[in-house]
Amino acid sequence: MNSNFPVPENELQRLAALKRYNILDTLPDNAFDDATKLVSYICGVPIAHISFIDESRQWFKSEIGIGVSEVPREISFCQYTILESEMVEINDTHLNERFKDDPNVTGGFNVRFYAGVPLTTPDGFNIGTLCAIDHVSKELNESQRNALSLVAKHVMAQLEIGTKNIQLDAQRKIAEKAVLARDSFLANMSHEIRTPLNAIIGFTDLLAQTQLDAEQNDFIESVQIAGENLLLIVNDILDLSKLESGSLTIEAAPFNLKKTLKHVYNLLKIKVQKEVEFNLFLDAELPDMVIGDQGRLNQILVNLIGNSLKFTSEGEVIVAVKKMEETEDDITFKFFVRDTGIGIEKSKHKTVFERFTQGEESTTRTYGGTGLGLNIVKELVELQNGEIHLKSELNKGSEFYFILKYKKVQAVESSAKPLLQNNLGNLKILLCEDNVLNQKLAKSVIGSFGFDLDIAQNGEEGIELLSQNEYDLILMDLQMPVKDGYQTTEYIRNEMNSNIPIIAMTAHSLVGEQERCYKVGMNGYVPKPFKQNVLLKAIKTVLNQDNDTPKRYIDMSFLDEMSSGDQEFKKEMISLFIEKIPAQTEQLEKAFHGGNHDAVKKLAHNMKSSLDIFMLEDLSEYAAIIEEQASAGEFTPETRENVNLLLCGVIEVVKILKEL
Amino acid sequence: MRIILAEDNDILRKSLSFFLESKGFTVDQFSDGKDALDAIETNNYDLILTDINMPGKSGMEITQYVRQTINSETPIIILTSSGVEQTELDSFDIGANEFIAKPVSPAVLLVRINKLLKTHF
Repeated sequence: MNSNFPVPENELQRLAALKRYNILDTLPDNAFDDATKLVSYICGVPIAHISFIDESRQWFKSEIGIGVSEVPREISFCQYTILESEMVEINDTHLNERFKDDPNVTGGFNVRFYAGVPLTTPDGFNIGTLCAIDHVSKELNESQRNALSLVAKHVMAQLEIGTKNIQLDAQRKIAEKAVLARDSFLANMSHEIRTPLNAIIGFTDLLAQTQLDAEQNDFIESVQIAGENLLLIVNDILDLSKLESGSLTIEAAPFNLKKTLKHVYNLLKIKVQKEVEFNLFLDAELPDMVIGDQGRLNQILVNLIGNSLKFTSEGEVIVAVKKMEETEDDITFKFFVRDTGIGIEKSKHKTVFERFTQGEESTTRTYGGTGLGLNIVKELVELQNGEIHLKSELNKGSEFYFILKYKKVQAVESSAKPLLQNNLGNLKILLCEDNVLNQKLAKSVIGSFGFDLDIAQNGEEGIELLSQNEYDLILMDLQMPVKDGYQTTEYIRNEMNSNIPIIAMTAHSLVGEQERCYKVGMNGYVPKPFKQNVLLKAIKTVLNQDNDTPKRYIDMSFLDEMSSGDQEFKKEMISLFIEKIPAQTEQLEKAFHGGNHDAVKKLAHNMKSSLDIFMLEDLSEYAAIIEEQASAGEFTPETRENVNLLLCGVIEVVKILKEL
Repeated sequence: MRIILAEDNDILRKSLSFFLESKGFTVDQFSDGKDALDAIETNNYDLILTDINMPGKSGMEITQYVRQTINSETPIIILTSSGVEQTELDSFDIGANEFIAKPVSPAVLLVRINKLLKTHF
């Protein structure tokens, strides 16, 4: 190396070590500044610094009394200090051969006293210095020298922590990315698996209903069980990815606690092995209805009871519920699942709740399962602010119990909705679905309900069929070519102004999808693979909903006052409204889609006056919002929503007024 | 008593006219501001009842024209659905006598009309 300063033997490695710390040209740092101050206090000097020396310069990480950020390496005192393994102390530069003529002694910083401690990395490279400098000659005492060395050590430790933090940060980012990738992979995979599984389970159900001999029946039953197990596993994985990403929500809706327990009991009764007694005990004080998440309770119970049944070959499995505590607003319950099965060793009690662990390594081989069940159960219980515990002894049995708090149903809410009508009559249903397998499946299922079904290959075809025929209901797949389920629904609601009930059918089960369906105007949602009874229930619900919705009451008092009770005039005004408002609505919608702010503003304004006469406060408010946003010259999704709400309301009102 | 009513919403205009006529007023109704202004120039009305937003001429323009160009002191009531305070201030500023926010209560409208007609004559 051709340079006019002394170079350490290990210069290249030394520079590499320095680079490792990423310290050069970084911003000031309190920790280093404090250390520099400490040096100045300890030695009682006006100048102190912490610096690092690279191939050409001495760079100051922190300094007092210097005022520059770097100096050329060849003029620095420290170029010599990094050659040493110990502290360098020059009590009087004027008496020192090497420095007495140095420009920074005769002038510049006027250095008379210099003490420098090399900053040595753990692997032995001097990457910089910690220095005390004075304009007068000086001698440090033993304590000062020791203190200086200690501060240098601390500075080095500080540097080490800094690099460790950078490394950790990088690792954390990599880990986060990996988690994200895994979550989306899991969500996508389970979606991809559920779609064909839907067809397998559905067709197996249909096949089971045909004429079969005993052997065939046995085969089909095996396929059904295998299919359902596979679905459980896929659902477990999907839940897991939802839990991981925090997108799993806990619902709060009234449900029948006793019925839920009995339902789970009946569901699992068929899985009980011959020598096992399976019992459900309900506390006499159990209320019928509580508010909470029925689906998640179901899932927890099915998982725990399923486990108990699986691991118990003789004796009994008991499910019990006890009321623990009741306040004015809520009730706390303790749920037990107790068995006389293989039990779990005490040392494994904690780990059974961990992911992918089971009681024994051999468990998976003997009993199957993913090892996810208990982990999901624990997470689900904890998501509902509950707790779960385990008591178990090897070869004697296990008892899992969990504690959940539910909100009480207040008296008003218990006067629940009227029961579903059982007789729906002969419905005519339109299915929009592009997958041939799913078409066939739906056709058979709908056929077995006794309803008529027309099938459209995509949304476009569905709209065409809808405009030609009368239907009671539409089943809508979300992913279709040409026009997908969302677009089709929007068209039906906004362009065709139809209120026909629409049920979404989808294998996605992704977060936010359900909301999106309701937002575009669908009335129900059935996840695939769909179960016959779930679909039937959804159909009943949307059709009943339609009947249940109380008809809008139109307040005529304003018109009565205006017309002073003149019936003829009142009728005239009503027919004027019926004649004008639908046309205006249509124009409004066109103008809105055409982005014509001015026309929308005028129409909304004019319509508002008409709506006020019939005291349609909600619709008038929509019109006001639309007018306001049109004036601002900006249509937002909110505008669109208000236009839709206004359209629906107008259709409804006109219908009612026509019937008067 | 003869009132001119300028309002572009058919239903509201017809209802208001019907109401005022049932209370004994004679009402000339217009849905276009310009037509209304022409009528004001050629006829003698005891009171002007006008909406703000209208095709042709706005209620503000009508009021301004009546006060500044025709120099008439005919009582003017402005109807508007604007909830903006400035609109109300502007209305009085250019010479309107009353300002009624929509939806208009017929009873209130009647009281205001009667009050204006009484103080005016």
